Amino acid sequence: MIQPQTHLNVTNNSGARELMCIRVIGASNRRYAHIGDVIVAVIKEAVPNTPLERSEVIRAVIVRTCKELKRDNGMIIRYDDNAAVVIDQEGNPKGTRIFGAIARELRQLNFTKIVSLAPEVL
Amino acid sequence: MWATLRSRFLHLSASSLTSSSLTNGSWKLGFSGLNQTFSSSAVERKSNELLSLQEVERVLSDVRADDVSVVPVGDQCDWADFMVIATGRSPWHVKNIAQALIYKVKQKQKGAKRMVLPSVQGQETGKWIVIDSGRVIVHALDEKARAYYNLENIWTSKTSHKEPVEDLGKAFVKVRRINNSKKPAQRSD
Repeated sequence: MIQPQTHLNVTNNSGARELMCIRVIGASNRRYAHIGDVIVAVIKEAVPNTPLERSEVIRAVIVRTCKELKRDNGMIIRYDDNAAVVIDQEGNPKGTRIFGAIARELRQLNFTKIVSLAPEVL
Repeated sequence: MWATLRSRFLHLSASSLTSSSLTNGSWKLGFSGLNQTFSSSAVERKSNELLSLQEVERVLSDVRADDVSVVPVGDQCDWADFMVIATGRSPWHVKNIAQALIYKVKQKQKGAKRMVLPSVQGQETGKWIVIDSGRVIVHALDEKARAYYNLENIWTSKTSHKEPVEDLGKAFVKVRRINNSKKPAQRSD
């Protein structure tokens, strides 16, 4: 459940470290974003000497949420952190590597690029 | 998992053979039926796959994609068997590679009532297009993107990331700690 003002970790090597959600993309007045949703976010913290800087507005895909994700077979997945991957307008990831485990729902939601860069798919 | 379950079941059935043969028989029947459905679904998936590896390779050689590399990833991840990575000379060429693969799928399913198409991502820009056709995933990239993302490096150098299952099994087992206290075990009263 990511809403505006939620802080998220960045889980790829794009150069950003922490994001703050400022808008959930989808319907108008959409309240919450879950795994696989695209948000507009602002960079709150960035690694020095990287292309991305603090207070830059970017798009990101949510890959991990503390709020549990339910599957049809009864499996429930819950992560320890809220994490996102920085993408550009075309949907290509900004960084080249992704860290940590991600859910396989991302593949069904047409983020195969992110899935194929990830080290582990749950 | 199935193997362990089955062995456990066999063990169970062997032990309870003497107690009640009727219930045991019914259980066995149900289980064998379940197994059959599983195996049949696996066979179906093999047969109606959208694109086979040979077809992908032929199409890629037809459209003259450069530097085609096939990486078997079946042992590293469970969601795909093969990654095919190809380079296009220009955004147009990359888009044409994707179009040729989609055309091949359509040709293959000609006359079918419902056509199933692979999911294609990144078709607008032609920098990196992914054609996700089930177990075979085709990446068509331009030269810059290929050097930047270095997809082969991920999937060839990485050793199997699967953690040993025994450790996980141990983690869930509750172990009573050894009582090291010097106090006598019995209560005085």
